[in-house]
Formats: sequence, C-alpha cells, structure tokens
Amino acid sequence: MSNKKLKRKISRIFLYAAVVMVCFIAVFPYLWMVLVSLKERVLVYQPEVLVFKPVLENYVNVFKTRDLGSYLINSAVIASLNCIISLALGSFTAYALARYEFRGREKCALFLTFIRILPAVASVIPIYVIAAAMKILDTHGILITVYLLFNVPFTVLMMRGFFEEIPVELEEAAKVDGCTSLQALRKIVLPLAKPGLVATAIFCVINSWNEFLYAMLLTTYKASTTPTIVQMFKTISGVIWGEMSAVGTVATLPVLIFAMLVQKHMVRGLSFGAVKG
Amino acid sequence: MAEKKKKKKPGWLKRRPYVPYIMPTMAVMTMLFVIPVLFIFVISLTNYRLGYGIEDISFLGLGNYIRLFDGSENAFYYSIFISLVLTVLGTALQLVIGMGCAMLLNCEFKGKAVAVACMIVPIAMTPSIASQIWKLMFNNEFGIINHILNQLFHINISWLDEKHAFLSVVIATIWQYVPFVTLMLYAGLRSLPEEIYESAALDGANRIQIFFNVTLPMMKRLILLCTLLRMIDMLKTFDIPYVLTQGGPGSATKFLGLLIYDTGFGETNFVARSAAMAVILIFITSTLSLILFRIQRKNAKE
Repeated sequence: MSNKKLKRKISRIFLYAAVVMVCFIAVFPYLWMVLVSLKERVLVYQPEVLVFKPVLENYVNVFKTRDLGSYLINSAVIASLNCIISLALGSFTAYALARYEFRGREKCALFLTFIRILPAVASVIPIYVIAAAMKILDTHGILITVYLLFNVPFTVLMMRGFFEEIPVELEEAAKVDGCTSLQALRKIVLPLAKPGLVATAIFCVINSWNEFLYAMLLTTYKASTTPTIVQMFKTISGVIWGEMSAVGTVATLPVLIFAMLVQKHMVRGLSFGAVKG
Repeated sequence: MAEKKKKKKPGWLKRRPYVPYIMPTMAVMTMLFVIPVLFIFVISLTNYRLGYGIEDISFLGLGNYIRLFDGSENAFYYSIFISLVLTVLGTALQLVIGMGCAMLLNCEFKGKAVAVACMIVPIAMTPSIASQIWKLMFNNEFGIINHILNQLFHINISWLDEKHAFLSVVIATIWQYVPFVTLMLYAGLRSLPEEIYESAALDGANRIQIFFNVTLPMMKRLILLCTLLRMIDMLKTFDIPYVLTQGGPGSATKFLGLLIYDTGFGETNFVARSAAMAVILIFITSTLSLILFRIQRKNAKE
C-alpha cells in the first residue's frame, strides 16, 4: 500500500468516526428515554443495567392514569388545524410578495418577520389577561389562534422563496389560455410549490406540537397539549422517570415518523426558504 | 382605510391585485400582534396582579420601570446579564459546532440519509420533554452522564448545582438546536457552485485556506441569518431552563424569560411588574434584530 493510499484510508476512518460520534450524541437522549421507559421502577436508578427484561407497565400507566390519550388528541387537533390556517393565510401572502411589485412590499415582509421576534413570554401576559376576560382560556381555539403568531410569518418566509423559484412565464401562458389568476395559482403554481408546502407544513406542525409556554399558561386541562404533561411530573418526591420517559417516547414518535418520511423535503425546504432568506 | 378608497375609485382593486392575497393575513396578524403589544405596555403602567378586579387597578405611571432600575430589583440586572451571556455564548457555540457538522455532512460517505435522520431527532423532540430527560441524565446519583464519566475518568460532577447549572443549560440547548443550524448550513453548502472549489484547488489552496477564503465568505449571508435567528431564540430561552433547573439553584439560571414568568405567574403574581420586564425584553430583542438586519442588508448590497 502506498503512502498516499494509507493517508486517504486514515482520513476516511476519521471521517466515519466523527459522523458516528455526532449521530450517536444526537440520538442518545432519545434512545436513553426509550430504554428508561421500558425499565421497571427499580432499574431506573441503575444506569449500568443495559440488558433487562422490558416491561410495558409505564406505557399502560400513562394512558390509564395520566390520560395521555387526551393530551395527544388535543395536540393533534391544535397542530393540524393551526397548520391548515397558517398555510392558507401564509402562502397567499407569500405568493403576493413574490409576484407583485408594490409599495410597502418589503415593509409587509419586515412586519411579519418582526412578529416572529416578539418573545412568547412577553405576548403571553396580555393574551392571558385578554383571554381570561373573554373566558376563552383552556379552549382549543385560543391555542390555534395564538400559534398563528409564529407559524404564519414562518410560512410566508419559507413559501416566498419557493414561489420566487417558479418561473412567471408558466402563469402568463396559463392566463393567455384563459385562466383567471386564481385558477393559474391553483392549477400551475400550487402543484409546483408542493415540496415547499410539505416542508413548511412539517415545520408548522413541529412548532405547534412542541410549543410549551403558551400551552402551559393558556390551558389547564381540557385543551392541554402533550408538552405541558411535564408539569404533572414535577412532584416533590421526585419524578417518576419511567412514566415520564414513556410519555416522551409516545409524544415524540408521531413527529419523528412524520419528519423522517419527508426528510428530503425538509432539507430542500431549508435550502429554498432559508438560503434565499 | 382600504374600504374608503375602494368606494372613491371603482378600479382601485383592479390596480392592486395583491390586496386580496395579503389583506386577510395582515388583518389577523395586526390584531394578534398590535393589540397584545399595546396592552402589555398599558398593563406595565398599572399595579395589576392576577385576580384583581377593575376597581382594584390603579395607574402607577412609570413606577414599575423605575423599580427595575433603582436597585430594588437586583435579580433583574443579574437576569439580563446571564441572558446576554447565554445568548452570545450559546449562539457562538451552536454556529461553530453546527458549521462543523454541516462540513462533515457535506463530505462524501455512505449512509448520509441515516446521518441526516439522526440530526432530525433533536429537532423533533419536544424541548420540555427532552429537558426532563437531560435532568435524568444529569442526575448526581443515577444519571448516565456521571456514570460514564466515573467509569472513564473517575470524576463526578454535580451538574445541577450552583456552579454547573448554567453549563448544563448550555449543553442541553446546544444539543437541541445545533441540528437545525447544521441542516440549514448544510443546505447552503450544497448550493455553492463546485467550480469555485476546483479553481481554488488548482490555485494550490489547501483545505483550511479554501474554508476561510472561499466557503466562509460565500456563506456569509446565510451565517448571518442563522446568527439572527439563533440569537433571538436564545434571548427568549424559556422551556429548557424552566424544566431543567427551574431557574435555580437559587437564581443561578434565572434567565429573563424565567424571571418574567416567575414574577407574573409563578412565584408571585405581580403581572404588571412582569409586564414591565417583558417590555424591556421586547426592547432588547428588537434592538438586537434591527442591528443584525442592518448588517445583513449591508452585506446583501455589497
């Protein structure tokens, strides 16, 4: 083996070692959570035990006594409805920003970006007081509405880049053929922007699914989403780690599967929406 | 205003075809944004506490703000200080590590899809739940991290005590947010034209030179955008320290977000005082973003 070949081989080994290490660190907390969720209560306090007979009692418990099912349903309802509204509002706006030159266009874009900057911990105070006065605390509606605050600007930012990529000529050709501009949007532009819509939808769902502060303050039980369940585990005698981990495993699984299925769109979406920025 | 103009000139909408596209969004967002922001400012000028009726509320003027700065609220200065440290340190670390991981992903190797899938795990995992798991892993007696450290180097670190709590928050934050930076920068790296690398290599530049003289300058805009997004998010940090340390021990990790929450809803119910702090937080985040926006614009023009 020549010197050069050896050198290349060593650098390959380093590369793979680095990749494996990064991946391991990235997934480790998740794996650890799954592992703990399958342990009996005593074994949780023995981190060195890695091989054991898995038990499902933690999973049974969280659905039976902690009512995880209704948290998951609340999360799903809120995330999906919010996602639909955000995409509808956001992509129309993004389309207008991408296609029409008009006075104040950049001001509109800046205004939306500025909303994203508003700290949740600040806006939640007045929203709490207003919602309490209107007696709409602890409803699905309040979270669906409030989550528009971050998901609509996000959708506009992402989709504007996608729409700008689609050649105007396609639409003009359709209009020459007698389409109205709304028809052209529906038949030509939207199908082409589908990867962008998919990527944006995933991020919107992840954003709402994982949101904690608004959910914790604006709901108490009826509309509580899964992230708030950690509140229940802040007991004085210490956290029941097994059940906590079971909750985490179940709660993360839907988003994880969802994200994995469309990971190609996700990276593409980032490169469009973000690189253009 | 739109309505009035419409009546005066019948062709108004025809000449502005974008209006129906943006109007609904603008209306909804203005309502969701302007009303709370004005209202929080009004609240910050009163003595409002949770449970107060209209008759209990009185107007204090700038009293809540004066309180924050006349020294009767030491916690506030400290909180701003650690929030800024976390913002600068956290953002810097996330960008450097994220850039490293992005460069790594950009190399050619088998199983890239798996590697990208691994990076998605922290993005998908709920921060509040992930922090609970970090709390378990950081545990003194039965945490896996201390167990490994003990086996390898015979050291034990009390991760959540006064000395190390801040570090623990930084570690959990980095784990949670580096993948996002990585995927964004990786997407940017992939969009760079390959010819540039080839010509640089022909000129005899080595890898380090190529990185600093070719890659970094071309990625400048994207890196600035990442910095902007991350800094703002770090200033607003709430979930991770709330679950991991509850701002403690003492107030070692009581970042601005936590202080605002505790003042208004957690430990005490001085909503008006927390509103005053929140107004200052809004002021800091907006100023910072404006500065970063300026820099980005300037770069875009060059």
